[in-house]
Amino acid sequence: MKLIQKVQVKNMMGLHTRPATAIVKMLQNSKCDVSFTYKKATINAKSILSILMLAARKNSKITITVEGSDADATMEKLLIAFENEFGE
Amino acid sequence: MPTKLKTQEIFLKGTPISRGIAIGKPFFFSLIEDSNPEFTVAHTDIGNEIERYRRAISRSKEDIVLLQKKLEHEKVVEGAGILEAQVHIMQDPMMTTQVENEIRHTRKNAESAFQRIMKQYQKKFNAIADPFFRERFKDIQDISRRVMAYLRESVRVSLADIPPNSIVFASDLTASDTAEANAASVSAIVSETGGSTSHAAIVAKAKGIPYVTSVKFNWKEAPKDALIIVDGRTGDVIINPAPETLQKYQVLRQQLLTHLHKLGTSGSLKAETFDGYSIRLSANIEMANELELLHQYGGNGVGLFRSEYIFLSNQSFPSEDEQYQIYRRIVEKMHGLPIVIRTFDVGGDKKMANKQAEEEDNPFLGCRAIRFLLKEPEIFKTQLRAILRASAYGDVSVMFPMISSLSELLAAKSILKEAQKELSKKGVVIPKPLRIGCMIEVPSAAIISDLLAKECDFLSIGTNDLVQYSLAVDRSNHAMSSLYTPTHPSVIRLLKLIVNEANNHSIPVTVCGEVAADPRFTPLLLGLGVHELSVASRYIPLVKNAIRSTSIVAASRLAEKALILPTAYEIEELLNQEYRKNVPEDCFYNC
Repeated sequence: MKLIQKVQVKNMMGLHTRPATAIVKMLQNSKCDVSFTYKKATINAKSILSILMLAARKNSKITITVEGSDADATMEKLLIAFENEFGE
Repeated sequence: MPTKLKTQEIFLKGTPISRGIAIGKPFFFSLIEDSNPEFTVAHTDIGNEIERYRRAISRSKEDIVLLQKKLEHEKVVEGAGILEAQVHIMQDPMMTTQVENEIRHTRKNAESAFQRIMKQYQKKFNAIADPFFRERFKDIQDISRRVMAYLRESVRVSLADIPPNSIVFASDLTASDTAEANAASVSAIVSETGGSTSHAAIVAKAKGIPYVTSVKFNWKEAPKDALIIVDGRTGDVIINPAPETLQKYQVLRQQLLTHLHKLGTSGSLKAETFDGYSIRLSANIEMANELELLHQYGGNGVGLFRSEYIFLSNQSFPSEDEQYQIYRRIVEKMHGLPIVIRTFDVGGDKKMANKQAEEEDNPFLGCRAIRFLLKEPEIFKTQLRAILRASAYGDVSVMFPMISSLSELLAAKSILKEAQKELSKKGVVIPKPLRIGCMIEVPSAAIISDLLAKECDFLSIGTNDLVQYSLAVDRSNHAMSSLYTPTHPSVIRLLKLIVNEANNHSIPVTVCGEVAADPRFTPLLLGLGVHELSVASRYIPLVKNAIRSTSIVAASRLAEKALILPTAYEIEELLNQEYRKNVPEDCFYNC
């Protein structure tokens, strides 16, 4: 199953080290392929360096693509985390 | 090197930064990444080469996990978070698979493959327009240093686990290198560059490690088994000392240790002159774990908590709750003693990349401290709310850094009021109003200290900046260090003015710069009418001893004399003479 959703970064400092760590931690046991697309760049969301190199500031819109067996649950978790500003 | 040099006594002279005497063996601490040979690996050895790389990564990861646990244990939540990110970076496919592929495809050794990939990342990060994200590369650099060291084995990354009694030679040291240093094994530090107020220097002083900088010597050629003497009082570095020289320093060192030991047991004694005038002797702290020493030495409280240090390494501002937890923990550890929290002093040489995007030509004259906070009222208010909430758990005051006009102080106070209102709207009860302090570290503030004194509960003089701004001498530029003279008559007059105005308005005045920690200044400061000295914890015994060795009558007379002397040199000599007279047994300062 392949899911695509758009989210907005709400964290004051954008997708910096802390949110990036949270994302990678969340995805490390997921069986899905997850990618983020921002400003024409598509990256592997399980790579913290790639997330940091997106340099996504507050309010940037990111397209999340999730593909795999537990795509539903993974997408759901990601959307909630973005919404909660990764607990910041 | 000619054999003669190997046994010849060599005298080198540098700039003394942190006092003390050490005798030990050299340890060459280097971060150089130049000598990094590239060679081709035999086809059959590729597997081993990749295995070697994996081992370097996994050992680095073990290090970081260990450090992370240590920080968690010490409740340094922010620091632990950074290290957690580093662990994930080391598991990142860009660090693992990509480097392994590079080794496989190019058939080059792990070091060169790894560095090539790192250079590519550096390029990518450098191309990011946003300086905040560009700065994130620092974490990767930190990791790659560690990984490279494990690959090369020969180079150690940490000052934490070097042989005992080492004299560390380095071209330059960072604050974190120094922070890792174990005072039991690092006897002294000698570096080629680095200023006396650099963060590395401040950390060395706080740990009591003698430190001499600006030593011009090709230390890479120094014999590895030479005996070396470092005199952090004078800046002398002696290699292969002759027997007489060695004996002289051994005696001095023993005297010094005896003296310091005697001072260290003075915890229960009061900070009062021998004619009974008592003053408050408090500590400057950066971390909660420094409080133990404060209690041990019988300090009267914390006169300056540099709140920004908790967050500087993280490069982003923590949330209100995180700050509240940190402040509350520190306040509780005070066991009822008062603490003054200084709001974030960022800018100048303490850069936080995220919010200070624009490069400034003169950062010390730019957007730092209160100027930054007033420009970022949300960050400011968040901190104030956290401080207000923590204030319920002890005796807390707040202090604003680098005020240069009355309007800044008033603006800061009104933001504090807003923060208070926001909290009470949410039903948070603040039992008592916060005491408000104004830092005097800019000449303009010193000159209008009467106006500022009317609007706050206490004044606190930051002498490091006051000297730098009064004399127009950059304190981190050691080519100008001879002009950086805290005994300059203009500085003494400013001190006098500030103390007088505080006394006229019946509010206390604290001195919290380096000058406060120098026992030779103690009688002068007392004589000028200062009520409180705030110094790095480990200087409490030394300063307490200086207080107890003088009388308020003699101190006042000394201050009067100092106020009429025309040059910095003469005032310095006066203070030295007085100290030799009061505390003749201290070979730490008398030399």
